[in-house]
Amino acid sequence: MDRVRLLELLVSRLLRTGVLMSGVLMVAGLGLLWATGDVSCPVGVLSVSWVLFGDPFLEPSHVLFLGFFTLIATPLLRIVASATAHLVERDLVFALLNISVLLILAVSFVLGVG
Amino acid sequence: MQPLFMLYSLAIALGSGFLGALLGLGGGVIMVPLMVFLLGVPIHLASGASILAVVATSSASASVYVRDEITNMRLGMFLELATTLGALTGASFVAMAAESLLKTVFGLSLIYGSVVMWYQLRNTRRSWVNKPNDWLAEKLSLGGSYYDEARGEQISYGVSRTLGTFGVSYVAGIISGLLGIGGGGIKVPAMNVVSSVPMKVAVATSNFMIGVTAAASALVYIRHGFCDGFITAPVVLGTLAGSYMGARTTGRLRGVFLKRVFIVVLLLLGLRMIASGVGF
Repeated sequence: MDRVRLLELLVSRLLRTGVLMSGVLMVAGLGLLWATGDVSCPVGVLSVSWVLFGDPFLEPSHVLFLGFFTLIATPLLRIVASATAHLVERDLVFALLNISVLLILAVSFVLGVG
Repeated sequence: MQPLFMLYSLAIALGSGFLGALLGLGGGVIMVPLMVFLLGVPIHLASGASILAVVATSSASASVYVRDEITNMRLGMFLELATTLGALTGASFVAMAAESLLKTVFGLSLIYGSVVMWYQLRNTRRSWVNKPNDWLAEKLSLGGSYYDEARGEQISYGVSRTLGTFGVSYVAGIISGLLGIGGGGIKVPAMNVVSSVPMKVAVATSNFMIGVTAAASALVYIRHGFCDGFITAPVVLGTLAGSYMGARTTGRLRGVFLKRVFIVVLLLLGLRMIASGVGF
């Protein structure tokens, strides 16, 4: 199998896995919210500690938001994966393109949150 | 949450996810007005749900298009630099922008795009015009090929006027940053008309790209509290299902038919954007 096809399969599987994981987490989160009768959903939360550990860990809304964050992380991880693959292949132009996009996104995010 | 509300949200999301995946548009621009006018969802929460739905459309459809070798990943990665740079530029000037004027200009450019696509379709009777790689596309190996299920043949294509499409994508990025929209309505015509990329490849590659800028925006939306879990989750789940169906349908359609549908939707979106710009 050629290298381009390998990268395509890697990217396709990564995207599908991310989407499936986020879907499962969202369904589980919604189910838990209904089961517990908890109707409050946090807003304005993006502290790294809350995303990773919740308050408490895996409370229904934390599970739901983990689904959202998995979804958001999926295309970003796709760029990280393809930057790595291009570095390994020594396709430096495309590795640099991917890394530049990640840096621009990081700057946009910092400005947007500001 | 009322079951009926959830059912309607799912139906709207299913439809816009399907169309978004089919046409490379992300679907947010279809979803937000439906949620606001039909379901009475406040616009900031509808926008928050829709930006996550765009990420969902992009990742779900791209997983199918990339696997089926329709997406041109190298072209997508190259143009991503232009769209993210543009989005950063746009977001930096958002406070200075006259939104109504911007929407009107954007609406006019969508209508211009649909007219140019229609004119090309009428003259050539084909969904794209095959041209060889230009010097930059040759240097970056941007040309490609894909198996067209509807025609039953492998189609090879070049990428022409690469810098022109890069420039248009940069402008699309600026508009995305200023108006908070995906910009697929500009990327698809740019790839198809300016760079002579087949319609299906343009749609698939646009979907591949839009998730990246949408993901960065989605984080900002959540941070600012514009994401209600009870509204967003059903919308994203419906979008995921619709996008899978849309991406699986595209391969079976004729490029000319896909282009006709795209032209009509682009024209409607342009008119809606102008109406919104002038205050209707």
